Amino acid sequence: MSASHVALVVGQEFRIRLRTGRWRWLLGVWVLLLALFTILLDTGLRTGYGSEEDNSLRGVPLFGFLMCFILGSMLVISPALTSQAVNGDRERGTLATLQVTRLRPLEIATGKLLAAWGVGLVALALSVPFAGYALYRGGIQVERMAVVYGVVALLIGTVCAVSQALSALLARSITSALLSYVVTAALTIGTVIAFGLALPLVSEERQMRAPFGGVEYTYTVQRADQVWWLLAPNPFVILADSAPRVPPRLTREGYEIRWESHDPLSAIGWEVRQLRMPPDYTVEDNGDGIRYYDSEGTEIPPPDELPVWPFGLGFAVLLGVASLAVTSVRLRTPADRLPRGIRVA
Amino acid sequence: MEPVVTPGATGVLVEDVWRSFGDVNALRGMSLTAPYGQVTALVGPNGAGKTTLLLVLATLLRPDRGRALVAGVSPTQDPDVVRSRVGWMPDVFGVYDQLTVGEYLRFFGAAYNLGRAAVAAKVTELLSLVHLSEYIDRPVHVLSRGQKQRLALTRALVHGPRVLLLDEPASGLDPRSRVELRDILRGLAAQGAAVLVSSHILTELEEIADRVVLVAGGATVAEHSMADLRAAANRTYRVRATNGPALADALTHRGTAFSTVDGGAELAAMSEEQAADTLAALVSAGVRVVAFEPLGGNLESVYLALTEERR
Repeated sequence: MSASHVALVVGQEFRIRLRTGRWRWLLGVWVLLLALFTILLDTGLRTGYGSEEDNSLRGVPLFGFLMCFILGSMLVISPALTSQAVNGDRERGTLATLQVTRLRPLEIATGKLLAAWGVGLVALALSVPFAGYALYRGGIQVERMAVVYGVVALLIGTVCAVSQALSALLARSITSALLSYVVTAALTIGTVIAFGLALPLVSEERQMRAPFGGVEYTYTVQRADQVWWLLAPNPFVILADSAPRVPPRLTREGYEIRWESHDPLSAIGWEVRQLRMPPDYTVEDNGDGIRYYDSEGTEIPPPDELPVWPFGLGFAVLLGVASLAVTSVRLRTPADRLPRGIRVA
Repeated sequence: MEPVVTPGATGVLVEDVWRSFGDVNALRGMSLTAPYGQVTALVGPNGAGKTTLLLVLATLLRPDRGRALVAGVSPTQDPDVVRSRVGWMPDVFGVYDQLTVGEYLRFFGAAYNLGRAAVAAKVTELLSLVHLSEYIDRPVHVLSRGQKQRLALTRALVHGPRVLLLDEPASGLDPRSRVELRDILRGLAAQGAAVLVSSHILTELEEIADRVVLVAGGATVAEHSMADLRAAANRTYRVRATNGPALADALTHRGTAFSTVDGGAELAAMSEEQAADTLAALVSAGVRVVAFEPLGGNLESVYLALTEERR
């Protein structure tokens, strides 16, 4: 693969994209939407956080909600960036002339993907000032912000790659666009539904004797620790869990606040790690830190050490790379078999 | 019959190539040769497999079986080399409407690994060849259909290919552009390129082509040189003279079958030799002949005979 060929395709795609849409308007509307969201959220949180001390941490939920909003929006925008990348070119009759040049299939696929991803990243970059405002509001570390942005950027790339692969697999651009939204919905909503439906399947009956010589009774435990991975590919789970933790703080009464309940990122991250814990685990705090024990009394690692995001992020990267490979294979010529209803040129 | 041509001297060599799409057999053992320095016309009815064959030769489609060599190289085994040597212009194509003519061609020049300076020189040269020089900085979408067609030809030529594959290049061109296309193709052949061109406009191919390959139903029906075709074909001729009755008398006297049409006579089908004899006889008989012309093209009569059989 030659870098200059990829750069050539990227430049070409960028130029065409830049000259087709009403980019200035679209990006303007996007910024306006972000501004509106940030202002309303900030106002809302002001009433929620009463005390002076809490108010200094207002940036945490502000940032969390803002990033969830940005990720949600990007999941809607990104499929549109590549859902016609291949079949649209085929419909317009510009693909075959590209395929007979010295550009190799992987170079065309990579160039197209990078250009689309680049457009997505421009939209993402426009949100940085608003996240910067959250940083100014306090409680957020630059490191946390950088990681969260990096993950969103990566997820945009994955969605673009999947959508592009669908456009290479399917003959009609309308079908591939629709299907790429189905895939996005499957990742965000489908994973939650799958998890919810899988949970009863892995529930177990357990016996327990009531204390002080009472009767034995059975109860049901849900083995979320067996199906937590169903939630791992969820983009919001990846984002929330991969975000570096907000440093724990103490309440006025001296209790350690383990996670920020007002912040969706902290909340989701905390919840999914809880899912990996065995059922009936117990927590003890004997003054030298919190310890976790399973039902047999053996000490087990705390939820902090059971991250979900490496699986989710790994899945996202694999999905993206596989999608790029699929696109490349579909662009390979001379073609053996063609999708139904496709003319080469 | 054509002499056997060695692969080294042949721009395009196709031997018994088959290709099916599902249960449709687009190519059923097509064979042809397109030598360097000549324009070879690919003629046949719709669905004869012309476009499919050109796609195989342009490295886009893998044949099910059979052998093809383009510029001496197999398009299936070494497509990249073939791409560097072949220019292909599809029958239906799109252009990037958002680009300028110059950007469009420079992009393809770079995609064919040409250096920046080489591309710039080539673009200037080719645009003046197809009379689009003044459009170099105009967006492609302002071009008319015929101008886009010429731009596409320029794109196919940007890397100086030795073999040119053109699928219906003349469709949508006005008469002047057609004449110019003819001159361009003849010029390229004169410079040594092998030009394989499919078209429905038979009278025009007749002027462009050195050789003609007739195809139908995915197979080659016949390969002729235009000179052979011209000599072999029996055609009707129309004669006009200043004195109509004298013409009729002379023809009757000679025993030539004819029918009277307004302003002259239409002679029954005859070979070129017979036609020349008839004309000589008429002139020596003192008939003042002002026009003696064949009706319809050689190619047209052959093509019509071909499609007639298939009905």
